Amino acid sequence: MQLSTSEISELIKSRLENFSVSSEARTQGTVISVTDGIVRIHGLSNVMSGEMIEFPGNTFGLALNLERDSVGAVVLGDYEHITEGDICKCTGRILEVPVGPELIGRVVNALGQPIDGKGPVNAKMTDKIEKVAPGVIARKSVSQPVQTGLKSVDSMVPVGRGQRELIIGDRQTGKTAVAVDAIINQKGQNMTCVYVAIGQKASTIANVVRKLEENGAMAYTIVVAAAASDSAALQFLAPYAGCTMGEYFRDRGEDALIVYDDLTKQAIAYRQISLLLRRPPGREAYPGDVFYIHSRLLERAARVNEEYVEKFTEGKIKGKTGSLTALPVIETAAGDVSAFVPTNVISITDGQIFLETDLFNAGIRPAINAGISVSRVGGAAQTKVIKKLGGGVRLALAQYRELAAFAQFASDLDEATRKQLDRGRMFTELMKQAQYSPLSVSNMAISLLAANKGYLDDVPTNKVLAFESALHGFMSSKYKKLMEGIESSKDLSGDNEKAVEAAIQDFKATNAY
Amino acid sequence: MAEISTIARPYAVAAFKLAKEQKALAKWSEMLGFATAVLSDAQMKAFVQDPNVVSSDLEATFLKVCGDKLNTNGQNLIKTLVEYGRLSILPAVTSAFEELKAQDEGTLDAQIIAAAKPSAAEIKDLVKKLEAKFGKKIEATVSVDEEIIGGIKIIVGDTVIDASVKGQLQNLAYSLSA
Repeated sequence: MQLSTSEISELIKSRLENFSVSSEARTQGTVISVTDGIVRIHGLSNVMSGEMIEFPGNTFGLALNLERDSVGAVVLGDYEHITEGDICKCTGRILEVPVGPELIGRVVNALGQPIDGKGPVNAKMTDKIEKVAPGVIARKSVSQPVQTGLKSVDSMVPVGRGQRELIIGDRQTGKTAVAVDAIINQKGQNMTCVYVAIGQKASTIANVVRKLEENGAMAYTIVVAAAASDSAALQFLAPYAGCTMGEYFRDRGEDALIVYDDLTKQAIAYRQISLLLRRPPGREAYPGDVFYIHSRLLERAARVNEEYVEKFTEGKIKGKTGSLTALPVIETAAGDVSAFVPTNVISITDGQIFLETDLFNAGIRPAINAGISVSRVGGAAQTKVIKKLGGGVRLALAQYRELAAFAQFASDLDEATRKQLDRGRMFTELMKQAQYSPLSVSNMAISLLAANKGYLDDVPTNKVLAFESALHGFMSSKYKKLMEGIESSKDLSGDNEKAVEAAIQDFKATNAY
Repeated sequence: MAEISTIARPYAVAAFKLAKEQKALAKWSEMLGFATAVLSDAQMKAFVQDPNVVSSDLEATFLKVCGDKLNTNGQNLIKTLVEYGRLSILPAVTSAFEELKAQDEGTLDAQIIAAAKPSAAEIKDLVKKLEAKFGKKIEATVSVDEEIIGGIKIIVGDTVIDASVKGQLQNLAYSLSA
């Protein structure tokens, strides 16, 4: 670890300057028992719920249970050195994490301490990890799009800035892939991203960080990691810590995207803490307030209006709205969405992207089930050109599914049915997309237009993707101006539409696929 | 699992209310203190914890040892505790009772820890200030501990006023490492 001496001296100097010698009265308590990271304390009569408690050896805990004669606290980090009879003190503070642009490009733990070996973070500010979400007055409707760069998401389940869109599916269905692709596509979109990894293997987290680095996404991304080997308390706190880091940008009139990967693990960590605290278990052994831990977290993802930003920044930033878009991830077991935590989070969020094992194994990746994936508010925020061209995709796929079931019985079909089946097959193929290759708005528009206008009807199904990528290459080399025009206006005028159609015909004549 | 002090509280409150009615707080305090002392005897402790001892025997033996130091009410408390199998929480009952008594009398125990022995005038001054702060009569016990390097540390209940050099150094250390 490289440190410059002047920096350290300056740091110490400022700390020494700000250090006040005062003797304030604090309440203290005695440790009664230490069990699996849970400490019971006698005394501490003035403790607040959620307050930090100081243990010997510069260790801190979080007061969670306030009982008549004791306080139940969860230790953040190692607890082996805490013994019965130890004295602990109230700090009068709620847990805080560093916030600010200094965190961008860093990997930190749930307490905001760097774990990437790149030296101290040097953040200028800290903020409380538990905050109340902005109220109705401070909000503004979602009206700007978040481009995920995935054809299937952007055309069928569009996400808006400030929306909460759940990514749900079994293990190994590509949930993280969808989220990571969405982060990678935010390059140059004025969006700061926060990736919160909860209860994952450290190697998996390292892989994601490496992929983000390779794709240049770490330049605008903060990674908050609470690995499976970290204590349950840190896994429980990580989403709130990440949310506070994201809120910093929201409150200053900027846009941020946060991925919670995944909230099932957070609920499990909270269940562990609650059971050790001897709180009564309920359904699936979760405590009664498991809904609240997710609702209070996801409520903080919002789009706030200009007045809120202006008031928050004390007039420094005027006329800008801020947003925090959340992409929570939930893992289901055997496709069971009616389990406790999945139903809770489905009901909290503004829609879900449903990923299925069968589709994934059939090679349809991203394995999005178009029938039950919805976006409740994204339609209002969808990019104009995608909205214009993507409307048919959903319908075509829905009709295809319906017919495909019937078509299995009948051997000879009438012309119309056969055509519809072919079209559905073509759209299913077109919605496939490789990982780490998000599409720009113009490319997506070209693909959708080609499909809508029937230019793909005579292309064999297994050639659709090859056709698409060749078309994109052709367009970017021969019709650069036209593509740039679509990209900047995010719309397709009548003239442009004709020009694109002519270009596609031009391309088809070359037979380059 | 309830804390021992939670279990002991209703017994202590009952004893305190009765004592208050009978205006026999001092007598009750003495009785409870004595019974606790009896219980803390090693032989007695082993006897109380022995699962082979029948509760009627335990009750008789305990009361016999205490002899005439307990009045009828005191004996009834022991009988009740034995009946509910709670004799072992007697020390907690006693301390809860003393707390209630101190609260009623408006006194607070303060532990003053100083690096060097303070003069009588200093203690008097300190007690006066503490009484003003807490609004109660302070019963101070003074001890000397060179470990704290300088200054004083006052513990009243679970409130700590740390004006010791050691405490300040510790705060400085935390603020530097945080």
